[in-house]
Amino acid sequence: MSRGVADHPYDDDHAVLDDDFLNDEVEPDEPSYNTSDRAPLTGNIQSSSSSAPLNQNYLTSRIPGEDRRAPQNTIDESVWETVSRDLLAVWEKMKQVLYPKYLLGGMLQRQGSGIGDEESQGFGRDLRGLIGRWPDADGILQGGLSEGLRDWDLWGPLIFCLLLSVFLSMRASKDQSDLVFSGVFSLVWIGEAVVTLQIKLLGGNISFMQSVSIIGYTLFPLTIAALLSALGLPMIARVPVYIVLVSWSLAAGVSILGGSGVVKNRVALSVYPLFVFYLGLGCLCFIS
Amino acid sequence: MDLTVAGSLLMYLFGVLFIRNFVLVFILTLLLLSLDFYYLKNIAGRRLVGLRWWNEVNTATGNSHWVFESATDGSRVDNKTDKRFFWLSMYTVPALWVALAIFAIVRLQNLIWLVTIVIALVLTITNTVAFSRCDKFSQASSYAGSAFLGGGLARGLASNMVGRLFK
Repeated sequence: MSRGVADHPYDDDHAVLDDDFLNDEVEPDEPSYNTSDRAPLTGNIQSSSSSAPLNQNYLTSRIPGEDRRAPQNTIDESVWETVSRDLLAVWEKMKQVLYPKYLLGGMLQRQGSGIGDEESQGFGRDLRGLIGRWPDADGILQGGLSEGLRDWDLWGPLIFCLLLSVFLSMRASKDQSDLVFSGVFSLVWIGEAVVTLQIKLLGGNISFMQSVSIIGYTLFPLTIAALLSALGLPMIARVPVYIVLVSWSLAAGVSILGGSGVVKNRVALSVYPLFVFYLGLGCLCFIS
Repeated sequence: MDLTVAGSLLMYLFGVLFIRNFVLVFILTLLLLSLDFYYLKNIAGRRLVGLRWWNEVNTATGNSHWVFESATDGSRVDNKTDKRFFWLSMYTVPALWVALAIFAIVRLQNLIWLVTIVIALVLTITNTVAFSRCDKFSQASSYAGSAFLGGGLARGLASNMVGRLFK
């Protein structure tokens, strides 16, 4: 408990600091995005100061001794409180996917002013030509995972994986639809595992399940693509739409996984399998 | 709890008879299984026996660790029936799925059913292992607490001991 109290003001200070940086760096012509992305942040601060016991409990649990006695207030909460908190956590993660930070806000360029050796700048310049506002390697490395992503759950991956498989199997011929379903289903899970493994092997500071959870949530744009395929979008229209959707997935995936702390020169290496994964699923949507 | 458990088991066993679509049965079974997992982990465990567990990730290092929480002694009145029912289902449901797994292997069924069973086993056994660990700590520390009549020292001692046991 004492540790929770000690940590508490630090957290607030840190958040305030972040806020100041944001105000300095974010362009003034995007106020709507700005507020929408900061809403969860301020919400967190308020809720942490208003419901202090819950927050303390949350912080003390980082102590390595894992077993402990529960503070009464959280173990006796009502069913509705539990469910609504978890639903909010899911929505928090969805929001991270809906507004990929890198493409829309450029939030992470806040530290890109003086830092950055020759190498990372070269990396940034090369890729910037490819996709609009690609961040520096430094930006990726120092981004840090956002709060909402810290506790993972598998609801998003489960739902999106099921939806993707169902939509893709709808268009398949009668005798093949079972095969398509199970193929897509296992492809998604295996793909998530492989991409995560790659990030871990490249020195990413992210836990396995957390990464699987995040990648699962970023399947949302591809689910839209699969839905469009199931509805029978004409081939010509698919090309631009699906390219946009795949790059949306990639942007969300990169910006969320950004803080995973992959070793500096290997950022492109760790993003590449993610790209292949999304592209593969996009192609599946395209041909189905 | 019983509703979703029974639901997922029944859906697995008899779903194909009524719904002539493997994929639909698979999806429904999977959804019932995950609902059951969620319900046991976050609601039933807490309300019936006062135990809860979860996984937490340290964002700085990327290490995740498991947290096992139990209610303080005497703070709640346990209903004996609830408790017995909870633990009974905790251990019988994985056993039933194991039996189904043996069945499925012997009969060399479609791969999709083996996948379902593997998912079911992972979910139910995770719950069982985690809750039994919670319960062990709860009992050990309530014993220590009653012996030394409270105080942080006894509790810390107990948690250290148990922590070492499980390392």
